[in-house]
Amino acid sequence: MGKGVHIQELPGLGTRYDIDLRSSNGERVSIVVGRDGKRHLYVFTSRSDEPAAVVELTEEQARKIGAVLGGTFFTD
Amino acid sequence: MHANLIGLGALILVAGLLARFGRRMGLPTVPFFMLAGILLGPSTGGPVAFDHPEDLDMLALFGLVILLFHLGLEFPVEQVLGSGKRLFWAAGAYIGINIGAGLALGFSMGWGTKEAFVIAGAVGISSSAIATKLLIEMRRLANAETPVILGIIVIEDLFLAFYLALLSPILEGASSAGELILNIGISFGYLVALFAVARWGARWIGKVLDSREDEIVAIIMIGLVVLVAGLSAEIGVSDAIGALMIGLVVARTSIRERAERIAVPLRDVFAAIFFIAFGLSIDVGAIGSVIWPVLIAVGITVVTNVTAGLITARLFGLNQRGAANVGLTVLGRGEFSLILATLALGAGLDERVGPFIALYVLILAVVAPIVAANSKYLARVIPDRLLHDRWRYVREETISTACTHLDRIQITETDEDECKECVEIGDTWVQLRMCLVCGHVACCDDSTNKHATAHYEDSRHPLIRSLEDGDGWQYCYEDQSLVREPAGSSRS
Repeated sequence: MGKGVHIQELPGLGTRYDIDLRSSNGERVSIVVGRDGKRHLYVFTSRSDEPAAVVELTEEQARKIGAVLGGTFFTD
Repeated sequence: MHANLIGLGALILVAGLLARFGRRMGLPTVPFFMLAGILLGPSTGGPVAFDHPEDLDMLALFGLVILLFHLGLEFPVEQVLGSGKRLFWAAGAYIGINIGAGLALGFSMGWGTKEAFVIAGAVGISSSAIATKLLIEMRRLANAETPVILGIIVIEDLFLAFYLALLSPILEGASSAGELILNIGISFGYLVALFAVARWGARWIGKVLDSREDEIVAIIMIGLVVLVAGLSAEIGVSDAIGALMIGLVVARTSIRERAERIAVPLRDVFAAIFFIAFGLSIDVGAIGSVIWPVLIAVGITVVTNVTAGLITARLFGLNQRGAANVGLTVLGRGEFSLILATLALGAGLDERVGPFIALYVLILAVVAPIVAANSKYLARVIPDRLLHDRWRYVREETISTACTHLDRIQITETDEDECKECVEIGDTWVQLRMCLVCGHVACCDDSTNKHATAHYEDSRHPLIRSLEDGDGWQYCYEDQSLVREPAGSSRS
């Protein structure tokens, strides 16, 4: 995986990918890829361990969002 | 042909509706399945779905087998083995304290030796399903202590196999101590044999199971699973272990993912029937006589879990919040307790064991989510000295590093750009590592001489970092873990 992505195994549940966006103020994103295919997206906007938002995505939704974020998805 | 379809349908429907109601309030499902059985059972007033609960035996037993098969199937062997020694210490402490307290409780109730062992297992082994769901619902997947919690409950699952292997011969009874030891030996020998099959025979099993069509895979697989479970019971090892172990075997074959997909809906339905059937067997009238023992057991469970949480936090360098979360998240009891209760019923033990475990599971089902969600209050009263001596994080913050040796860092930068020891013997190296205690620069483990590791073995300086540009990682030899700046914290 690329630099700055921290990988953490969550036994029995899946794998967690932590990405620091701006470590000065604690902005970070954690993505849990579940064994069942579900993705849990955690967004932190401060240093607290209380996430600002948590979104649970199906595999299909995750692919869609991934494609848009990656810039490969477009119409016309 | 005689079959009570109306009763069965009503039971499952009510169980599903009750469980849905429970889920709305954030409660686990298993106790509600059991509750449906209790409410519609022959011993409770009101409508009775099944006059003869034993008509459900076959379906319930199948549910038990599938439940444990699925547990073995999704057991994350690699993740557990890869997580290091500390996790096993933590899980060992957790299991030891809980089972030990359970045994003490079981013996002090004076119901008998067999009963004591069943109760020890029922109060000592937590429900992985409940803990996992709680972590997701409480939005704690990103917390530092979460991998530890998950690791502990997964190791507990494995411990269940050993505990069952010990328990089945004890329950079966033996005329002499020698016979008992022999039976336990057979039980563990069988366990080892199945482990060997899982390790070396999975390829052959995979060949038997594999087919292009899911339908065929499903049928051959279920046939094999039920047969192995039945044979295990015949040998005197519990059917539950057989099912769990064949799950571990299938998990190592090529059809693992398909097997999981096929097993999940089967498990959901038939395991629910198993829990319902257990509820049917509960005599509500008997619950009154076990209220006090149950309340004491719940109290003991809370204390032992918090203690185990503190030990785990010390081992992993977690702070108060982490300690409280570990202790209080693993509080739920469910499927495993009910499996043990069913074993007790089957062996004809003291009649109070069933109602005792039923009430215990029901109370913890309500208590566990509430307590876990409010762990921060416990975190506030845990004194610093119980945790790591040189703890440097504020009490409420849950994020920490996985390494407890960061306080030994003395030096982080160097101008050195060669491995002196390699230069002396005229050798080359792949990458350079630097000791963070004394600044010693040496070659990495991909190099032929592995001087950095040799330096650790000489000096016992635990931490190194990579000197490659942009690598930015540190490694701790003692904890066998990669260390990074804790996410969201620049304090160090």
